[in-house]
Amino acid sequence: MGLLRLRLGVAVLMVGAQATAADWQLSLDMRAVASDGRESFLDNGQGKLRFDEDHQGIRLGRLRAALDQPLGEVFSAHIEASTWDDDDKNPIDLTEAFIEYRPYPRAGFRSRVRLGAFYPPMSLESRATGWETPYTITPSAISSWIGEEIRTIGLEGQVDWLGTRLGHSFDLQLTAAIFGWNDPAGTMLAAHGFALHDRQTTLFGRVGAPQPDPQFAKKELFHEIDDRPGYYVGAQVRYLDRAVLNLLHYDNRADPTVAAPEIRDFAWLTKFDAAALRIETGNGWTAILQALVGDTYIAPNNFWLEWEFDSQSLLLAKRFGVHMVSARYDEFSVLFRDNPALPGSEDGHAWAVAYTYDPGRQWRFALEWLQVDSTVPQRVIQLGEPAFASETKVEFSARYSLSGTF
Amino acid sequence: MSILPFRIRCASAAAAAFLVCAAFARAGPLTVTVFKRDGKALPGAVVTVEAESQGAPATQPIHATMDQVDLAFVPDVLVIPVNSTVQFPNSDAISHQVYSFSSARRFQLPLYRGKPYPPVSFDQPGIITLGCNIHDNMLAYIVVTRASYFGHTDASGKWTLPNLPAGKFRLRLWHPLLNETAEIDRLVDGATDGTIEIWLSRNLRPAPLTGRPHSWDY
Repeated sequence: MGLLRLRLGVAVLMVGAQATAADWQLSLDMRAVASDGRESFLDNGQGKLRFDEDHQGIRLGRLRAALDQPLGEVFSAHIEASTWDDDDKNPIDLTEAFIEYRPYPRAGFRSRVRLGAFYPPMSLESRATGWETPYTITPSAISSWIGEEIRTIGLEGQVDWLGTRLGHSFDLQLTAAIFGWNDPAGTMLAAHGFALHDRQTTLFGRVGAPQPDPQFAKKELFHEIDDRPGYYVGAQVRYLDRAVLNLLHYDNRADPTVAAPEIRDFAWLTKFDAAALRIETGNGWTAILQALVGDTYIAPNNFWLEWEFDSQSLLLAKRFGVHMVSARYDEFSVLFRDNPALPGSEDGHAWAVAYTYDPGRQWRFALEWLQVDSTVPQRVIQLGEPAFASETKVEFSARYSLSGTF
Repeated sequence: MSILPFRIRCASAAAAAFLVCAAFARAGPLTVTVFKRDGKALPGAVVTVEAESQGAPATQPIHATMDQVDLAFVPDVLVIPVNSTVQFPNSDAISHQVYSFSSARRFQLPLYRGKPYPPVSFDQPGIITLGCNIHDNMLAYIVVTRASYFGHTDASGKWTLPNLPAGKFRLRLWHPLLNETAEIDRLVDGATDGTIEIWLSRNLRPAPLTGRPHSWDY
């Protein structure tokens, strides 16, 4: 009987899978870059940009392939693979891979469960496919950091109250997740602080080029070190399709006394609170306000070290049909509590101005000017450079996308 | 009737709020014009005119279509007589999953492309809110009515019924962005051949945003 049921279940799944073919997307994003950036954090420097002075000219922005495969009526699988060409460990690797369960709404409520590797719901700017921001080429310092260090590898549940489907003006959403394999999260904030870049760390990769110095971490973020799961809880309120307020509390519950010699790193106990507000008007204006504040700790030999970090950003954008102009201001700081003059502390801000032209499904063009001013004591100690650096980059992006079904 | 959510008045009698002014003469055309609070015309308002007397001839059911094009339902508001059927084709290249949990008709169409399902029948009057379980920005409404006469206001906020017979009728107004919580309905006399103006007493909710690129909010 059990076997018959299993067979029937498999048959239903197969019929469902046949009835709904997979959607695929493929995109190539090429860049033309002019930059006076210091040696990039991707090359183990203390520069804040992805493309530094030595990486100007024509560059690969991102080669991306994505697949959405329905599995029966209410399950689906999502896979995101990318090539970034930044001397990463693997030439092509995954940024997200998960199975989603999305049953039908009932009496105004809908639940959703994701299992696998994906982003926590916290960036209101990274709303385009591939977790990209449509407003600029380079996301905010907060989103850059999330893309660099944070990934949920675990189970997330969401419940939506779909008030707008009941005649109300509001929808509500609650999220909770339990995850592992993100114990090194925080290590990059202590190593090079915040950076402004569109490069997302891949699940089996690392942050840029290999670290040749055996004193430093291998920059691999997605490892389970202490066998303690982390969690986050979040809430979202939406007013029609005009405004979204998102709140998230994150705690990876890492045991900071545990070392991971295989990646020359520790379990970094990282906790943060994030808030984001996005408002859109009927005449094409968008405002996005984001804030992040948190701490990260390690405790080698039970000697606790603490870094505080915070960042805020405000983006204003105006859309004129297929054209959009955006401006963003970012502030960020990391404070090494035990000695602010020692490695790990920094203070900085950034301005970005971008124009995007999105004429249709296949092409998208963007031009961005970005300036990051930062004071990083580590530059003096590690590189013998001045602590202050002002880095400017002008970048043009041409992205060609294809999509279809199998 | 406690708080009247809107005012109906004669074009010629501006001060006569909450009043239907009629010529009480003979059957003839009925023109309804709907104005927003700011005085601008309201297009797309659904007007239904239903006979008060029992035994009025029922409107013939129809076979209608609610399409899905470019991640939107087309049309965004569909008015059909009770017992009509609606086909829900998906003209997009990607799959949709249509649902309603409105009390007048609950249904769901499992993930699909093209036109794999038979039409859905609607045998209860009411307002059905449609959604797509994959794309939360997709929103549309089906208004199922017993009324003999119905239609939308045009760009100038006007809807004209060529010939309303004599007798008592209930005129109802609905629009997806109406903030009024009470149902907007009034009695009119079929002998009326005047113009009815409806002035909304409250602001509308903001209209859904349009024209955002397809790659957003995937």
